[in-house]
Amino acid sequence: MFNFSLKKLAVSLGFAALMTPTLALAEYPEKPITMVIPFGAGGSHDLNSRVITSIIPTYLNQAMIVRLTPGAGGQKGTQEVANATADGYTLLFTHNYVDMLQQYVEDLPYDPLEDFIPIARVNYAPMGVVVRADSPYKSFEDLVEAATMDPGSVRMSHSGNWGAQFVPAAQIMRARGIHFNLVPYKGGGPAMQALLAGDAEVTMGFPSTLSGQIESGAIRVLATAGAERMYDDVPTFAEVGVEGDIGFMHRVLVAPKGTPQEAVDKLTEAFAALVEDTTFTRMMGRLNETVDLMDGESYQKLREEQAHAYEDLVKALTSQ
Amino acid sequence: MLEQFITGFGMALRLDTFMLMGAGLFGGMLVGALPGFTTLMAMAILLPISFFLEPIVGIPFLLGVYKGGIFGGSIPAILVSMPGTGAAVATSRDGYKLTQQGKSRKALDMALFSSVFGDMSSDIFTMLMIFPIAYLVMQFGPPELFAVLLLSLVIIAATSTQNPVKSLIMMLFGLWLSFIGTDPLGGVERFTFGIFDLKSGIPLLPMLIGVFAIPEIAGVVMRNEGARKLATLVGERLTFAEYRRCFKTICRSTVIGTGIGTIPGLGQVVAAMMGYSAAKNASDHPETFGEGELEGIAAAEAANNAVNGPTMVPLLTLGIPGDNVTAILLGAFVAQGLRPGPQLFEEQGATVFAILIAMVFANIMFLAIGYLSIPFFSRIVQIKTSVLIPIVIMFAFAGTFVFRSDNFDLLMLVAFGIFGLVAKAGKFDVMPMVMGFILGPPMEYAFGQTMAMGNGATLSFLFEERLGAIGVLIATPLIGLTLWRRMRAVVSG
Repeated sequence: MFNFSLKKLAVSLGFAALMTPTLALAEYPEKPITMVIPFGAGGSHDLNSRVITSIIPTYLNQAMIVRLTPGAGGQKGTQEVANATADGYTLLFTHNYVDMLQQYVEDLPYDPLEDFIPIARVNYAPMGVVVRADSPYKSFEDLVEAATMDPGSVRMSHSGNWGAQFVPAAQIMRARGIHFNLVPYKGGGPAMQALLAGDAEVTMGFPSTLSGQIESGAIRVLATAGAERMYDDVPTFAEVGVEGDIGFMHRVLVAPKGTPQEAVDKLTEAFAALVEDTTFTRMMGRLNETVDLMDGESYQKLREEQAHAYEDLVKALTSQ
Repeated sequence: MLEQFITGFGMALRLDTFMLMGAGLFGGMLVGALPGFTTLMAMAILLPISFFLEPIVGIPFLLGVYKGGIFGGSIPAILVSMPGTGAAVATSRDGYKLTQQGKSRKALDMALFSSVFGDMSSDIFTMLMIFPIAYLVMQFGPPELFAVLLLSLVIIAATSTQNPVKSLIMMLFGLWLSFIGTDPLGGVERFTFGIFDLKSGIPLLPMLIGVFAIPEIAGVVMRNEGARKLATLVGERLTFAEYRRCFKTICRSTVIGTGIGTIPGLGQVVAAMMGYSAAKNASDHPETFGEGELEGIAAAEAANNAVNGPTMVPLLTLGIPGDNVTAILLGAFVAQGLRPGPQLFEEQGATVFAILIAMVFANIMFLAIGYLSIPFFSRIVQIKTSVLIPIVIMFAFAGTFVFRSDNFDLLMLVAFGIFGLVAKAGKFDVMPMVMGFILGPPMEYAFGQTMAMGNGATLSFLFEERLGAIGVLIATPLIGLTLWRRMRAVVSG
């Protein structure tokens, strides 16, 4: 038994050694950093994080480990990080809806603005409204018409209540005065599968999870977020009458407030170097993801603006 | 297609592929054997390494970790009644009895052989039938998932112990325990009594170790067997005759496991339990199940491993991962420039086949690695209990803590340990409770989704569009009743 446990120890040390190319230095980071993702497997955060954590050890001299902690619409993972020691070893990779919108919908065991500071906005992704290629809805207006004629007859799969797909869907419904039958799934992957399987007529998705399906001709995009057209023949949200900052998901890394400045600086530096790394940009390119780094300070301003906008939205939605 | 297959076969035959796969298998087995360290964690940690290896080396390496880890989980389940995952629960009940009877080596051998057989058959089947399976996967949505989960629970309750009423009570209790925490759909708190830690629900691992391992540890301690050993013998190796006796069961479980693997969202726990229940039901001596029946181990292990092949299908054909493990594999594929999805076979067919073929080779290699390490593992039970028990207790607590470093989990471990002791004294089987607890949340979610899909007219929605689910729902009580009658006959006769 003693031999046995020693072997186990030796093996785990071996694994640890594999993970730490350079031995721990006396300064941050001395040990692997955990990146908590409050969402399920296979979503775009998951994919993005796999690329980030594979390259960033080069600039941190430490591994960054992804931990998926889904639950309660992102609250579980967020709460875990809010409760974690603010030492720079537990970070949260989240998005603007969970970060800034949720506080107006539920009683949270944490205060996002008070308990977290942003480290880096890695990129932002515009959302697209998609249907199957064989769908009778050829354009966004077809979809609106169907939802107007028979409210609730159009089934839309989304990644979870008050999530990255639910919120823009609600905003579209509000802007156009229509109603979809919203069916929650456990993340964007299962929601897309529901569309392909015919369990839903429409869903939303990001280019990162859509490229394969679009190229193979399995799905059709009806509208995309943003001021500029993503595809030449597909209108933007603004063009179809859904104006405003709608359908953008900012992927942002935050840390518990009180994280030592030394750690924040080191991470900011590492991310600045990361986005210059050609391997990183190439891998992100393969995912059809953009890289638009914004440092913590600049994103904090954006974050505060988001908070006001979402507060208005939720008030309008829930007062109906 | 054939051409790609042959090219792929050639690509898979590489020394470095085999070496890293072997390392992955062995490492995965050790990690899987440590309670609290999951295969998933090992894969996530090792994922970045695969990024810098060639696709045909890096991905088989991760697959090796995965396959090794699943078998590794059955080692503590058999030797010290400590299942680290839901998938090992069914194995632990007969496995630990066999250990106590001095047959731990046979038990481990059976787990290995049936695992490898189940896994390999389902891999080969998947490779040949990948597109039909891809079509089948699409036929299962939330209503079907709900119906199949409900049916699984009914089968487990009806066949799990010698008293179906008691097991039904325990299952309902398990379901209730799964309701504690934040409601998965609406975000409403249930039965949390304002206790902060309960908001995210009761954790599974402390429950598993608490109800399965703690009562056994306490039993040894209370019998004051300090000077003795858990088992004086580790016994002979498995004989070919014994394997042949169980072969029908292994085949049945493989079919069940493969079938369950095609239904997104079910997974290994259901497969292991269904394989076990089916074997028990088909047996002409169901009373030996749970008392150290080699066939029980064969049934559970073949089934939970057979799930692996088909779960790869949505990943490979659609680029949609069905669970955490396939999500990690997706990461590995993507970073290698292999974008799983409809075009993957057209563009990279040979590489994909090479990976699938490597999976088959991984099984053969694992047979050798496992067979050689079993004598080493099985010797654990020959350590004096005065030494072994403290170590097992340490592993129980350390494993619980390491999972997510939460003191609350340790409290839960003790609470479930006490609960397990009480249940044992009252002859209540804890397995249906654990199954209710594990299967409750996905069932509830599927129920909520079905209601949402129905949009206020769920019944007419089901009758118009979902006759398959209706069929399963109607058949459920009939199947349950038949099994119940049979089990009652066994109990009274």
